[in-house]
Amino acid sequence: MIRVFGLFLIPAISITLLTGCWSTTELNELALVSAIGIDKNEEGEYVGSFQIINPGSVAGSKSTGQGTASPPVTVYTSTAKNLVGLSRNISAKASRRLYFAHTSVVVIAEELAREEGIKNLLDALDRDPEFRTTTAIIIAKNARARDLIKILTPIDQIPAENVIKMLKTNETMSGENINTKTRQVIDALSTKERDPVITGVELTREAEGGKLESIQQTEPESIIQVGGIALFRNDRLVDWAREKTARGIVFLLNKVKETDISIDWKGNEEAVVYNMIRQHTTVKPVIKNGKPEIDVHVKAEGIIGEVQVAIDLSNPDTLKRIEQEVNKEIQGELSKAIEKAKENKTDIFGFGESFHSTYPEHWKRFEKEWNDTYFSELKANIKVESFIRRTGLRNKPYLKDTN
Amino acid sequence: MEKAKIDAIQLFILIFLFELGSALLVPLAIEAEEDAWLAIFFGLAVGILIFLIFHALYQTYPDSLPTQYMRNIIGNYLGWVLGFAYCLYFLYLSARVLRDFGSMLLTIAYHETPLFIVNLLLILLIIYTVYQGIEVMARTGELLFVILYVLAISGFILIVSSGLIDLSNLKPVLEDGIVPILNVAITQTIFVPFGEAIVFSVILPYLNNPKKAKKVGILALCLSGINLMIVMAVNIAVLGVNLTKRSQFPLLTTIQSIQIADFLERLDVFFMLALIIGIFIKITIFFYAAVIGLGDLFKVTNVKQLIYPLGLVVLLLSNSIASNITEHIQEGLVIIPFILHFPFQILFPLFLLLIVYLKKRKKNKA
Repeated sequence: MIRVFGLFLIPAISITLLTGCWSTTELNELALVSAIGIDKNEEGEYVGSFQIINPGSVAGSKSTGQGTASPPVTVYTSTAKNLVGLSRNISAKASRRLYFAHTSVVVIAEELAREEGIKNLLDALDRDPEFRTTTAIIIAKNARARDLIKILTPIDQIPAENVIKMLKTNETMSGENINTKTRQVIDALSTKERDPVITGVELTREAEGGKLESIQQTEPESIIQVGGIALFRNDRLVDWAREKTARGIVFLLNKVKETDISIDWKGNEEAVVYNMIRQHTTVKPVIKNGKPEIDVHVKAEGIIGEVQVAIDLSNPDTLKRIEQEVNKEIQGELSKAIEKAKENKTDIFGFGESFHSTYPEHWKRFEKEWNDTYFSELKANIKVESFIRRTGLRNKPYLKDTN
Repeated sequence: MEKAKIDAIQLFILIFLFELGSALLVPLAIEAEEDAWLAIFFGLAVGILIFLIFHALYQTYPDSLPTQYMRNIIGNYLGWVLGFAYCLYFLYLSARVLRDFGSMLLTIAYHETPLFIVNLLLILLIIYTVYQGIEVMARTGELLFVILYVLAISGFILIVSSGLIDLSNLKPVLEDGIVPILNVAITQTIFVPFGEAIVFSVILPYLNNPKKAKKVGILALCLSGINLMIVMAVNIAVLGVNLTKRSQFPLLTTIQSIQIADFLERLDVFFMLALIIGIFIKITIFFYAAVIGLGDLFKVTNVKQLIYPLGLVVLLLSNSIASNITEHIQEGLVIIPFILHFPFQILFPLFLLLIVYLKKRKKNKA
């Protein structure tokens, strides 16, 4: 009898205890947030824009071949004094609970970053177990975060995905931006030894980006593009670095993967292109006469990508000369980047960090006035070694030597 | 005590899993900043000494439980009171670890589930395991050990191969000298997790080959200590001191930072498995020790009768020992080491050993 009773009891207990139905949330009760934008309005409140994926129009349209009437994402905005409030206030508008685990980008308005700083923004993101701090963070340059969030993008349907892919592709192809993660910014904010850098993103044109028609043409009215690297002092945006200076910053952070370096040749501007394939930059702090100095060493490998003048590339001496020119060019970019950071008194390279870990006793002396005195008077010794490994399918260009 | 035996490998695994237990998950010794691993090392060194103390007691009385030999050493009444205090200590620690488990799970995943429910599910499992006895516990341990190691090794490979480790985060070594590190070791790592191995004084009599106890114990402590050192060093190398300090569960944050090839990411389940395996074994051993000890003290013929009521006590205690996670952790870091861990892990065993030594000398003289 007891055995029969037991046989029934075990499944009964298992069914009630092992199902795990406590606070279940089905997928159709969640609104997947793909991007968050944060602005500030005149009343001093935060304006949050939440880009939410429309599951129906993303999944169905390709298989049926018919474009659906609704756009792939919907943007809701709300205002509040804090970030949790922003997300709560959305519940008055959206039919589902916001779900942040799949958020791929956080956009912060330039104005907000410049005037108020970003330090109050990130705690909610850091604390919440649902939100991932590996999420990318970007600055909306010359634009409201809201406008950026609203733009529809042509190739990748979900705009947030599009932005992320663009940043990654651009990072590997040109090395002029860095894909900063929320955690890295929080890290930099929590220490005096480093200041944050965040890539900026801008709109090519102000336009009604929220309409589906805007991407139903071969050239969309407005697209999102990389707009340089934002330099922060503590938590406040102070300056922008673009193109070569930006690349110098990325070099110093040792984040450059591939890039093209163009050099002048016999009066022809940017006539030889060096395709860098890999590089390694080491930053070594040294103390000379009690003063901090930094030794930067770049080692680069690459191939010749393009030659617009007649050069005999089969001659090793020519390649040596090109290498030297490339060295000079990279060196220039690095010093530009360091100058820029010094002007703004912001240690975006984390030199302070490396001094702290290598010279802890000296660091105690530097620590208090690092950014104001020691960093802005820091001497940098830059050494670049670049190597040309191959010259492509041709050695001599088809151009006949006219000089 | 029940009639059962475990072999040396099983004991090794139980000690190992017990040591990793909750220590794997929390920012262990992070007050020592970059040198957390060194503080763990010092804790390990002293932890081995503590093990040697109660191992010496075990060698004198290889077949009896601590609750029995305490009465032999310091007299029936005093020994009974001390044994009872030890049982309460183990019971309290099982409640503490259960609370750790509940708060972790709630913080990470189940925000809306009441603590009581989460704790209830685990304690039911533990009651069942303890009911089955030490041999089943040991075999479960063997199984879980393999799982945990596969997880640990694959996790480590993933972390290394995604290029997250930045060894410069571990520098400077010994920035403020050795004093702060010893300080952390003395106030924390000696007691948690290494000193806690005192609970194995209850398990040791079950060993089928008493001669191996010393070797097995020290090896298990060393291996778990080395593992903890590696985990903490990896945490700091990946996250940096600042973030590790601010994290409730640095290992979770470390695992979350793994991103390989756009699809190997969000491996939180690694952490969850480590959490459940480690904590399950840890509570089971504490709870088992308390049950066996109390059964012996109160001369209960069938010890298994005690398991359900005591399980309920642990469950209720785990809910009521602190009103929030901060209070719970502060108690564990600031108060418990001095008023509980120090006397129970070092002072009392040392005192007992001293009396045994004096008695022996007297005997030899006579």
